[in-house]
Amino acid sequence: MTKYQRVSGDAIEYEVFARKTRVEPLHQVGSVVAPDADLAMAYARATYDEERWVEMAIVRKDDLIHLWSPGEA
Amino acid sequence: MSLSDLVLSIADNKQMLGLRYAEWATRAPSLEADIAAAAMGLDDLGHSRVLYGCLEPLGADPRGPQRESDPASLSNLAYFDEPWTEWSQFVAANAILDTAFTTMIEACAGGSVEVLQHRLRKMLMEERYHFLHGRSWLRSGIDSSPLDRAWREAIEWFGPPDGETATLHRDGKLSMGPAELRARLEEQLEMKAPRVAVEWTAWDPVRRRSSPGAIDQHTFAMLRGLEEKKYAPPSAAKQPAS
Repeated sequence: MTKYQRVSGDAIEYEVFARKTRVEPLHQVGSVVAPDADLAMAYARATYDEERWVEMAIVRKDDLIHLWSPGEA
Repeated sequence: MSLSDLVLSIADNKQMLGLRYAEWATRAPSLEADIAAAAMGLDDLGHSRVLYGCLEPLGADPRGPQRESDPASLSNLAYFDEPWTEWSQFVAANAILDTAFTTMIEACAGGSVEVLQHRLRKMLMEERYHFLHGRSWLRSGIDSSPLDRAWREAIEWFGPPDGETATLHRDGKLSMGPAELRARLEEQLEMKAPRVAVEWTAWDPVRRRSSPGAIDQHTFAMLRGLEEKKYAPPSAAKQPAS
């Protein structure tokens, strides 16, 4: 049987953001791990589709620019 | 073969695809892929219900009583006859066959038949995520055997170049015929289909497949509710129907 690696060097963590109404801001609802953005979109939609979101977006965790982190403020 | 037969074939195949996806909901290579298998399975089972619901408005429901007793009366592809034992089979079905069904649904929704124009749009939106999932896993590389088989069955399922599917296209009931469906599938997947020589004289225009056979007995019994009855308490069988 073919071996597949899940969390390997090329696995990327994506943060998932969503909102239920236009008047509320996007907020983080979770994260997914995938080797590319296509699969991350499919995983985000499958995993966090329990609500009737009006918007859902993903962003690579590596692309977040931290001003400071817990314990650094 | 009528438009109703074609819609029934899409419905039966989506039902079987949904069930086979669901069988992998705890066996996929990652937790995310498990969840995606479950979600796509639910989607496709839901799509099959919508498609079955189109048969009556289409005017001629081709489902006969033999569907209660004969698994070979279901119009599913041979690819779904047995549960998949390899993840590669899942990926090939997800990328090639699921997308082939979506392409045919596009052709139905883009044709002149009103009930199909109206009822099939939502499933096209949901299918986008099935496509992204299948294409991404396909790009990661899978065994050629299930891939070639899925391509062959997809091309057979689209139908012969001069058959009744082509006639439905010429009549405007479908926005694409077999040649356009194949080209669209190749365009979507950004790859060429392997060389497939189909012996169309052996092709069954209702089941849209060349090979005999049917789904396994366990799955057929589950579809009919017989598996559920195995777990019913003995007293349940004696209670009169209310």
